[in-house]
Amino acid sequence: MLLQQILNGIMIGSVYALTAMGATLIYGILRILDIANAGAYVAGAYFGWFIYLKTGNLVLAFLFSMMITGLIGVLIHRFIYAPILSKPRILPIVPLVASVGLFTLTGDLARLIAGPGTKAYNVDFGVDVINIGKLTVVPAWILIIVLTALLFTVLWLVLNKTKLGLAWRATAEDADIAKAVGINTNSAMALSYILGYGFAAAAGIMVGILYNSITPALGEVPSYKMLSIIVLGGLGSPVGTVIAGLFIGMVETMLSAYNLTFIPKDSVAFIVLILVLLIKPSGLISKTNNI
Amino acid sequence: MGNYITTVAVNIAVFSLLALSLNIIIGYAGQSMMGHAAFFGIGAYTAAILTNKGISFWLALLASLIVSGALGAILGIISLRLRDDFLAITTIGINFVMVALFQNMKFFGGSLGMAVKPLTMFGKKATPMHFLIMLLILIFLVCMLIRKMNSSWFGLALASLRGDEGAAQSFGVNTNQYKILAFIIGTSIAGLTGGVYAHRMTFIFSSSFAFIVSISIISMVVVGGVGTIRGPLVGAILLGAAPELLRFADDYRMILYGGVIVLMMRFQPQGLLGENSFLMNKFNQYINPLLKRKGGEFNA
Amino acid sequence: MREIVKVEGLKMYFGGLKAIDNLDMSIYEHETLGIIGPNGAGKTTLFNTICGVYKPTGGKVIFNGQEVQGSPPYEIARKGIARTFQISKPLHDLTILDNVIAASGIHEYTGIRSFFKKSHTKEVLEKVHAILELVGLSHIADKKAREVSLGYLRRLEIARVLATDPQLIMLDEPCAGLSNYAINEITELILKLKSQGKTIVLIEHNLPITMKVCDRILVLNYGQKIAEGTPEEVQHNKKVIEAYLGEEDED
Repeated sequence: MLLQQILNGIMIGSVYALTAMGATLIYGILRILDIANAGAYVAGAYFGWFIYLKTGNLVLAFLFSMMITGLIGVLIHRFIYAPILSKPRILPIVPLVASVGLFTLTGDLARLIAGPGTKAYNVDFGVDVINIGKLTVVPAWILIIVLTALLFTVLWLVLNKTKLGLAWRATAEDADIAKAVGINTNSAMALSYILGYGFAAAAGIMVGILYNSITPALGEVPSYKMLSIIVLGGLGSPVGTVIAGLFIGMVETMLSAYNLTFIPKDSVAFIVLILVLLIKPSGLISKTNNI
Repeated sequence: MGNYITTVAVNIAVFSLLALSLNIIIGYAGQSMMGHAAFFGIGAYTAAILTNKGISFWLALLASLIVSGALGAILGIISLRLRDDFLAITTIGINFVMVALFQNMKFFGGSLGMAVKPLTMFGKKATPMHFLIMLLILIFLVCMLIRKMNSSWFGLALASLRGDEGAAQSFGVNTNQYKILAFIIGTSIAGLTGGVYAHRMTFIFSSSFAFIVSISIISMVVVGGVGTIRGPLVGAILLGAAPELLRFADDYRMILYGGVIVLMMRFQPQGLLGENSFLMNKFNQYINPLLKRKGGEFNA
Repeated sequence: MREIVKVEGLKMYFGGLKAIDNLDMSIYEHETLGIIGPNGAGKTTLFNTICGVYKPTGGKVIFNGQEVQGSPPYEIARKGIARTFQISKPLHDLTILDNVIAASGIHEYTGIRSFFKKSHTKEVLEKVHAILELVGLSHIADKKAREVSLGYLRRLEIARVLATDPQLIMLDEPCAGLSNYAINEITELILKLKSQGKTIVLIEHNLPITMKVCDRILVLNYGQKIAEGTPEEVQHNKKVIEAYLGEEDED
């Protein structure tokens, strides 16, 4: 039973980490809280659903949905965030408000185009459940855990082993200095959006498959839960985000498994966040120690 | 006035008060408050619980003001420890947690919401018109309060805090003290508004105080123009009336709403009527000189 | 001459870094004291420690016979120590006039009571206009701070300092990044203040200016005082040449 819950927690946690990763990558470079990342999650889920419906190929669904959503992210940065950030700030929350507007827009576009109802996300894995000893595993869980691990490995390789990744890390460290020494900070920003929005899209598809349904309101819970995860992870630290995502996933799973919740499980992330910020105002994992 | 129009007007008046009070925190003091609706809710539930216990409406309103203001002070103290982004997220978090509490605790009526004892005025059940007049008086008082603030050292202290904390401290402003005061003033007005709102509705639900409501209030402030009195008022009227005016296009309402916000932030982050906005520049260029000249002739 | 500031054994450590290490110094009334030293010598840290931005690791700062170390910056400012910032910190969305008025309110920021006291009174406006005249900002008094050039922002910093009626004025590199013309104007301004008998501490990288303006110079290196004296004495001090001028040559 405990093992089952741990597995469940890891699975939920990896989806959280994957959803929040985009926001972390974007914060790392642009220092803005991009709630619209949850819009990418919705858009990605719908793109994936449509492609799978037409082709029946899950790999294609993931690949194309991630690519399209990532490209949209680059365009959003190019035409919305970059101009906003280049002006003197009237208020610190201007980009945040813009991202809320974008998020509202995405959810409603999905509703208008695909209809307000729930869409079934039937993916046939051939078997319903796999039994390993006492453990009951749904194939979707394996898909989620394996794919998330794969994507994070890719991310780690890109950030640590490529020139583009070096540009990202340098820009995250200090954008002005990076620019001064000739690093292309624009490509680092594009990388944040392609990977960030792409990951959110993948997370959207996963959740669609897991619950066998998508709705235009799919992004509401992730939009704010994501925020508390990226703060817990130390704002802008990819490693911290993975740890925080897994942590929140685990806490939520355990609390609901053992009936310890007096409030809904979706506020757990924020209660943990507020407690942590009161004790340690710089987040659970300090950014200076991690990249 | 028709009942429908009064209802819409009351709604706009409620949001005008919320936008004006939020503007004290984000527009004048420059603090990233994203959970104003939580304090609106705290005021609403406080007043509702008290009048249901038989306490007079006016005392209950006072209590709404005090309880919200006191919790706002706690948030202010917390804010001293947090940078901008952390504060924004923490206030979002407080909003979600408060709504979860309203929704799940029996004390607050749970998910069914809470009935509020109807208010009697002059021996009869209060009408929407009574509430509208009450709210308009409150709006007038709050506008006067903000005007007074802007012409006082208090206003300059907030402007300094918003501009640069280091600079403000270098000329004697205790920035921590003023941050807390800004939170107290803003949240207590929101609480008072909540108290009136609860009695107007006679039934309150947690969803009326959700994060999306905070976003609506913020949108009103930034669409109208931050750091001004006219901005939040115009923002509340525009965005408050928009859903009614757009009823024929109900399907596109949220898209328009989201789109307008994105475009505003992209092209006019100071708001429609904020300082240096397109409209205000045109106004100062063409209309203001006319008004001044006319005034001059009149005096002569 | 009366000693208005006495710094005793001041230490400011950041982890292992000793930014200020056991520093003793005095500032006398009506003098202009220059503080020079290579980059990273601890000059700005010294300002920040005296003005309360940092709590010193150890030692005392005595102002008018009263220990002030560890007090918050706004209290130290109210006591009469005013400082400018190396990187100008204007209130961008206020006019130049309002920036200076804000500073002139140094003793008015009393919390909720300040709500009931008008800021733009006739006396305040008269005082602030006189200061703007003195520093040469009158003609742009109604411009927003965000619209004016760096040279004007530096003068705004000085105007704000004057508006607080300070007993001690601390200027942190008021000429950095300015054109020769603007540097001359700032230098003239400092000399004007000096002729009015103000007590001034000046951090400046531009040595000729420091030599010209200051009565006394203190040289810092690695957070320690390596020399102190008149401009001539310091100029000929061997340690100073090694630490400071040697570095200049390498550049």
